[in-house]
Amino acid sequence: MIDAIVTENLSKQFGQFDALKDLNLTVEPGICVGYLGPNGAGKTTTIKILTSLLRPTGGKAFLNGIDVVRNPKEALASVGAVVETPQLYPQLTPAEILSYLGQLRGLDRDVIRERSVAVLNEVKMLDSAHKRMGDFSTGMKQRVAIASALLHDPSILIFDEPTIGLDPRGMIEVRKLIMQLKERDFTIFMSSHLLYEVQEVCDKVAIVDKGTLLVYDTVANLSIAGEVLLTAVEPITAQQCAFVQALPNVRSVKRVATSELLITVEGGLSEQSDLLDHVKSLGIRVAFYRPARSAIEDIYLRLVPEEES
Amino acid sequence: MPPSDLRQMAVVTKYELLKYLRGKRLLIIVVLLAIIFIFDLVVPPTIGSGYDLDPTTFTSGMLNNIGILIVLCATFFGADAIVSEFEQKTGHLLFPNAVKRHVLVLGKFIASTMISVGAVALYYAVTVIAVVVIDGSIAPNTSLSFLYAFAYVFGILAIAYLFSAIFRSSVYSIVLTFFTFFLILPLIDATGGGIAHFKPWFTLTFASGIILNIFQQPYPVDATRTVGTTFANTTRTITVATYYPSVAQALAVIFVYFIIGLILALYITKRREM
Repeated sequence: MIDAIVTENLSKQFGQFDALKDLNLTVEPGICVGYLGPNGAGKTTTIKILTSLLRPTGGKAFLNGIDVVRNPKEALASVGAVVETPQLYPQLTPAEILSYLGQLRGLDRDVIRERSVAVLNEVKMLDSAHKRMGDFSTGMKQRVAIASALLHDPSILIFDEPTIGLDPRGMIEVRKLIMQLKERDFTIFMSSHLLYEVQEVCDKVAIVDKGTLLVYDTVANLSIAGEVLLTAVEPITAQQCAFVQALPNVRSVKRVATSELLITVEGGLSEQSDLLDHVKSLGIRVAFYRPARSAIEDIYLRLVPEEES
Repeated sequence: MPPSDLRQMAVVTKYELLKYLRGKRLLIIVVLLAIIFIFDLVVPPTIGSGYDLDPTTFTSGMLNNIGILIVLCATFFGADAIVSEFEQKTGHLLFPNAVKRHVLVLGKFIASTMISVGAVALYYAVTVIAVVVIDGSIAPNTSLSFLYAFAYVFGILAIAYLFSAIFRSSVYSIVLTFFTFFLILPLIDATGGGIAHFKPWFTLTFASGIILNIFQQPYPVDATRTVGTTFANTTRTITVATYYPSVAQALAVIFVYFIIGLILALYITKRREM
């Protein structure tokens, strides 16, 4: 099976600035990949190269096996993309913009009509289908842009910060929509600043910084390590604290309250379970035992230095 | 599969036209035309000066503002056609589609030409109707004049598209388009003819002179005359030159502007990054 998205030593320089350095990434078909990184890390540059808005200075990018630089028309035929928050032509209505893009993509008029209703309904913009977009809010424009990306039922969806500019309800709805799309076997490549969003939605995570790929793995694999917060029913004594510190796979222990410890654990789920058993055997009555923050957040903070994030 | 380039071009043209038809700029052009017609057709009988009874003089008089109309059309419908996609980020929606950049530019260019030619055709149509109603016949060479105006639209729009492809701000491309054809090139034309004694055959505005010159019978040719002035017992002579573009040369100049302008606009837009 051909990989949906492949980048080979993809590089982009703006003058002396390396926006992207030898990016090698492979996205298998049917999975959702979250693309994380601080501002200026190279996320949007990657997406713009994949959508033919920028030309790479080195390397190659393939969509469904087709070189996007050499054959952008063929490569983008089965791609739906929302890059940044696109502005929409104020003289046109959402129905007209979908008809415009649908005709450019070679859809029949009947198919365009049918699909337009479906995708506008999906992004909850059906009521505004025939209103001119001049006065639309950023969130409304973003929804129409998402609808336009879905119109031709592409196999690959590329989203650049899909929830940016949306109100909290809109963000939840878009996340829900992306999860529904995932179930329909779309390949989704989305950049985001929101770590919990990526953890909630994506199968794999790529973290990029200063144009370099730092990590690319499944959310399941990345979710193993991290910090756990232990809350006891009674205050934890200094002796108990020292015993916890000495337990296997415990890297560090920090007291955050009289009955609360922040424990950095090395290893996977099994090690975390063993730790809980050991803690209980020390006579500590555990009320809560949970990750201190999301594992991806943990990895992100470790990999991306503070001044950049 | 995406349709052919030609089919996509037609789609781009259709929706660009729709945008123009719904925009305020077309309304401004229509209002301008209405003002011109009021001055040419309503004011003369109102102030009692009457109409010119020679169809040729009447037609060329009425079409006197055709150059301004075409410059305004190029400014409104061409000068920001490309740059606005980058500046206003509408290109983020349009460019990541399975469509080549040159198809988008050519589709837009055809729409700009159609709307501009439409405005020019309206100007000619009202003029012809007025001349027929008032003078009873059409001026000879009216159709040729229209064809030359049509050619001028192509040339000037290609340059407007070139400016639009080069600049990052639509304000610059709009201002430069307008002042180039309204002030800078006419200034070169006037300086060349009146003071520096060279024929500005190479400017697009000088070439556009054929639109109205074609009404003159015979077609005017370059001429110089010496004028003597006497002041304080001293007689001085100055030579005044009047230059006219020949039809063939003017059409060739317009064609060169069109080809070079459009090819460069296509090339720059293709290379341009968002």
